[in-house]
Amino acid sequence: MSEAASANPPKPSSSVKLVLLGEAAVGKSSLVLRFVNDDFQENKEPTIGAAFLTQKCSLPTRTIKFEIWDTAGQERFASLAPMYYRNAQAALVVYDVTKPSSLTKAKHWVAELQRQASPGIVIALVGNKLDLTNDGGDVSEASTAPEADSGSTGAEGDAGAGEEGEEQDATPGDARKVSRREASSYAQEEGLLFFETSAKTGTNVVDVFTAIANAIPESSLKTGRGAGAGTGQTQLSGRSADDSRVNLGDRNAATAKEGCAC
Amino acid sequence: MLQSFVQKASSLIDPANFNIPTLSSSDNNPSKASLFRQQFRLPDSQNPLQEITADLVLPLPHSSSGSPSDSSRRAAHGGNRYTGRLHISERFICFSTQPTSFVPSATHNASTNWTGQTHGTGPSGNGFTLPLSCIRRVERLHSASHVFSLALTTWNGLLIKSQELSPAPQRLILQLVGSRQTCERFCDCLKKGLREAMKEVESLRLVVSDCYSEYLLSNSKSKLVEGTDSDARQPPDAGLGMIFRYPGDARKLRDRSKMRLWGEYFRENGRNTTLVRQPTFHKLIRVGLPNRLRGEIWELTAGSLFLRLGSPKLYQETLAKFEGQESLAIDEIEKDLNRSLPEYPGYQSEEGIGRLRRVLTAYSWTNAEIGYCQAMNIVVAALLIYTSEAQAFFLLSVLCDRLVPGYYSTTMYGTLLDQKVFESLVEKTMPVLWDHLVKSDVQLSVVSLPWFLSLYINSMPLVFAFRVLDVFFLEGPKVLFQVGLAILRINGEELLDIQDDGSFISILKSYFARLDESAHPRSENPKLRAITRFQELMVVAFKEFSGITHNTITEQREKHKDAVLENIENFAKRTSIRNLGPESKRLSVDDLGTIYDRFYETLYQWQQHQRSLEGERILQAKKKSERLSALAHPADNQVGRVGLGPSPTHMDYDAFREFLAATAKWAVADSPPPSKKESEASYNSFRGNGRSLLWANRPQPADHEFLQRLYRKWATDSEEGLSLQNVVNGMARLKGSPDIMNNINYFFDLYDDSGSGLVDREGILRMSEGLLFLSRRGFEGIINVTQPLEDLNGARDREHVEQNRLSAEERFLGSVSAFIRRCFEYADPSNPGNQKAAIQNAAAEVTEKLDSFAIGDEEDEEEDLIDVGGESKPDSSSPTLETSPKPAVTRTNRQVSESANPALDPNNPLHITLPTFRMVVLADELLEQFFESFFPQSFHLSDHPHPAALAASSLSSNLTTFSNIGSARPSNLTAAGTVTVAGASGGIVPPGKGLRGVLDNIATEGIRMAAEVKKRMDEAQREMERNALGREEEDDEEEDDEDLRRDLLEGAEVVNVRGKDAANSPGAAGQAGGNEGHDGEVVSKVVEFES
Repeated sequence: MSEAASANPPKPSSSVKLVLLGEAAVGKSSLVLRFVNDDFQENKEPTIGAAFLTQKCSLPTRTIKFEIWDTAGQERFASLAPMYYRNAQAALVVYDVTKPSSLTKAKHWVAELQRQASPGIVIALVGNKLDLTNDGGDVSEASTAPEADSGSTGAEGDAGAGEEGEEQDATPGDARKVSRREASSYAQEEGLLFFETSAKTGTNVVDVFTAIANAIPESSLKTGRGAGAGTGQTQLSGRSADDSRVNLGDRNAATAKEGCAC
Repeated sequence: MLQSFVQKASSLIDPANFNIPTLSSSDNNPSKASLFRQQFRLPDSQNPLQEITADLVLPLPHSSSGSPSDSSRRAAHGGNRYTGRLHISERFICFSTQPTSFVPSATHNASTNWTGQTHGTGPSGNGFTLPLSCIRRVERLHSASHVFSLALTTWNGLLIKSQELSPAPQRLILQLVGSRQTCERFCDCLKKGLREAMKEVESLRLVVSDCYSEYLLSNSKSKLVEGTDSDARQPPDAGLGMIFRYPGDARKLRDRSKMRLWGEYFRENGRNTTLVRQPTFHKLIRVGLPNRLRGEIWELTAGSLFLRLGSPKLYQETLAKFEGQESLAIDEIEKDLNRSLPEYPGYQSEEGIGRLRRVLTAYSWTNAEIGYCQAMNIVVAALLIYTSEAQAFFLLSVLCDRLVPGYYSTTMYGTLLDQKVFESLVEKTMPVLWDHLVKSDVQLSVVSLPWFLSLYINSMPLVFAFRVLDVFFLEGPKVLFQVGLAILRINGEELLDIQDDGSFISILKSYFARLDESAHPRSENPKLRAITRFQELMVVAFKEFSGITHNTITEQREKHKDAVLENIENFAKRTSIRNLGPESKRLSVDDLGTIYDRFYETLYQWQQHQRSLEGERILQAKKKSERLSALAHPADNQVGRVGLGPSPTHMDYDAFREFLAATAKWAVADSPPPSKKESEASYNSFRGNGRSLLWANRPQPADHEFLQRLYRKWATDSEEGLSLQNVVNGMARLKGSPDIMNNINYFFDLYDDSGSGLVDREGILRMSEGLLFLSRRGFEGIINVTQPLEDLNGARDREHVEQNRLSAEERFLGSVSAFIRRCFEYADPSNPGNQKAAIQNAAAEVTEKLDSFAIGDEEDEEEDLIDVGGESKPDSSSPTLETSPKPAVTRTNRQVSESANPALDPNNPLHITLPTFRMVVLADELLEQFFESFFPQSFHLSDHPHPAALAASSLSSNLTTFSNIGSARPSNLTAAGTVTVAGASGGIVPPGKGLRGVLDNIATEGIRMAAEVKKRMDEAQREMERNALGREEEDDEEEDDEDLRRDLLEGAEVVNVRGKDAANSPGAAGQAGGNEGHDGEVVSKVVEFES
């Protein structure tokens, strides 16, 4: 692929199994689609069991090939999850910043992974749908957004969010129901990577994967795996893969490079 | 543990969804009835009534069709004759040949050379499944031999007015083979069935008129006759394909010639409900169904046609009934509507989306326990291309209930199980590939799961997926496995090179994409070249893997069931416990696990119980039963309870009682009088046998006001019932903190009905009743006799040692009466003007009263009591036991009435507050202990073997003593045994557990006493005078005496019975066998200790 051309001596390449978990409709598949194809679809086919995709991420010293297991979000599919996070070296636990219950679910997944997945698994907590909040597109602002006002909780959000009660003032158009601070402090407690992303606008998406790639300890990398899979992506449900995933052109590879070659 | 997992899982996964008997019934033997229904794809309402060996004689086809397969049949002159079994059920007559009775036909071309028998279940043999309602006439033929010969004439083609010129009536000749008697019995049964079935001809007409076959035949005939297409009635709905085109190229699929062949077949062998299966039928299915008949044949082979026949309007009615209502399933469905086969034009239109929505929604209503599962949208979307909405609805129902049971359930148990089965089949049939997959750490099921879950619809190009479905509906789930194995076999070489999931997936993906290409592109032989990869796949699947039969699958499922269930259970439990929230952190993980297991076990058993009751009720109203089982879904009776969601998650009060009965001793009922002992026995045997105990044998749960209070307190919504969360929170408050104040407050809260922080006179009495209720089965050693001895010695006068030596239970009675007394003394008058009594009472007076209490004891009690004490409880032989309770009761009675006299005046309403209650409790050592340890500890969770748990806990001193007893048990028991024997010789038998019986009696008396007090409250004060009271007491005493004597005797019996572990038959206990009783005790105790 194209990144091979940019780095003259072939860098050591290794594959990393990554699993996506999270409540239904938080945007797991969309995150992957953004990362792999730099694309976004409003109506995606539901994931049956899990979809499998791959994408490379080039780091200064090595190339990481992500083998991504994108799991189904419907509650009853949860019992299948152990099948997919088995041997995973990394996990993306996704929640929806506009839906407090999804963070609760995410916490459950984190706990599950910490107890049941392979030890040393790198977990990233990702709050998706940042585009629906005020600090939408602009990452830097989002990350530095003053949280001082978090004490004065807007009355409207209380219905579902009661638990931690830490919300930002609801300004018109801001659908945020989970404050950045709440999630990040939880992530810190549990030793997770933390990001807020928007699969729709692409904000932070590549950064998540890059950060994970960097966080994978060198020692746990197997090299030479996955030569057979070759090109970009495959999906479990073969037929549909054709129409939805076929368009990975240079553009994707380029994105991956942009994002990862840091 | 395992047992409970299994039970629990079965409860999660509605057992009703597992109509495959090996999965559902608790004993693993499938009932004959269910096998019968399986084979003929009959609704669950059908049972095999009569069966007989018979020959089916079919007249020679009069048409001169050139169907290639006809040649084989021609061979048999004088018509085709099949030998097989003829069955009759309530509404159906079915015939099937043994799979071997039929000579496999010659092969004709590559695409049909795998059309032999496949030994599936389902209507794979030759024969028929006729609803009795479609039989028009039955004649008995005279025949040369002795055989009974019946000629069945059907309604074939006659129910609908059409231009079809009187088709030759379909006549089937059946020659019964068997004794005259058997034959006659069969005929009688048939006659009866036919009479009943006459009523159903109308629904038959209704259903048949929707069948495309009727239209096909009438239309083609009319064309023949009139030579024009003329009016020809509207074709019945044959799916979205009629509007949006069917997938694939109709010409390439040779749709027309297939249609013609089917037309011929129908004409010769009947159509839809009257169809007779002959070899051609199976072949025609194997080559792929023609578009417009596909839905109908699916429906026929899957048996959903019979469901539709049973309740032709159910689909429409369901939609109408629930119109406008919302549910979680509907939300989930809505999300997926736009994402189901989006590439098919029909699903880019409101028409297609609307159909999909309605079918999924209607099904989610009729089967709320499944509701909606992703993948169902894809399956239904595929079905709807070829079927009407109602057809899809019933097909889905057959899928979920019978063909792929548990696939779409909330735990997806069936899916996981079949993955396990598939893996083991791969291991068995392709060991090299399997080893390679294992070595490369590739998990097969991540690839194959979607194949099964979406029936290949999402994996293969649609045209091919439908071909698989054609066979699947005919032959059942084994087809999925055969195809899966064939896929791996065909790609075996390449798969041996893969290193990881990614390459595995991409190989298969590209294989699926090229199914329409030639399997042998470079072959010289054009015929061979013409074979597509898909045809090759079918050949491999059904020829090479013909050994994979329905039996194989059933056996494998049975084999892996437990492991899969356990996995799911572990996961569900883990998740569930983790989700319980902060409150649950006050309980240990083990405790939570125990609550979880017990909660769901109770729910499950309770539900089973309800269901069996329901079943009985239905049996009695037989009409109703037929209606209910129309959908082959026994859980239909749950339809009304849709609000409860997919599986029961809440306990009602009665289930809660069952739960508590398994948790706390005091929640076990005293059996109906007069035999209290019996329940005691069953209680013990319950503990001995643990969870595996059958429902019938379970301890009867008590019903007491206290339980109701607890229930109301725990439930966030008592209408809805208790959720696991409620129970955990409730338990956490009781057991979560060792704080006595917490427990006292909690108890007070239970009785603070108004929430005002005040408990009135009535409430006080109820509290005391509650205390007695809780203590009536003893303290299980938690409130210990020896330990308080020391404490009390310090606190009280040494003179009263003997009083202290009474067992804790007996003394507790005194404490409760003192409690009542003090409550009334310290109560605040609700009427402020009336405060004198309450204020007078100072702390000093408490001591005084305590003394007077003690003195009273001394006065009343006989010297024998000195013998009662400490560890030698069982030594308290008959005389003591007989007498000791009497004074206790007397004492309390008198004292209560005595001291409470002023307080009992109903004209002085009064109340106690929490501080008062607390003070009163703390003023009494026993009550204090009660709230400190017994009350919380009486709820047995994971600390079930309480000696160990207690020893580990911080309540050191008395517990050490107790665990000593535990470890020294053998000698202790020996002592008990000896006592028993001695007692037996003494005439009145105080058996090993006799003491407990006595205490029971006391407690019961105590409760009665409390009631008595209440009663008297309403009487005039004069009647409470000492004299009158004295008389009453005497009467009581005599009664007590008798009760006691009887109880003791019964106690002996119980012990004996327990020894035999036959708790339910006290009659078996003839002599008081001391030794046996002793053995029984050892057993029960040891088990208790381990459990």
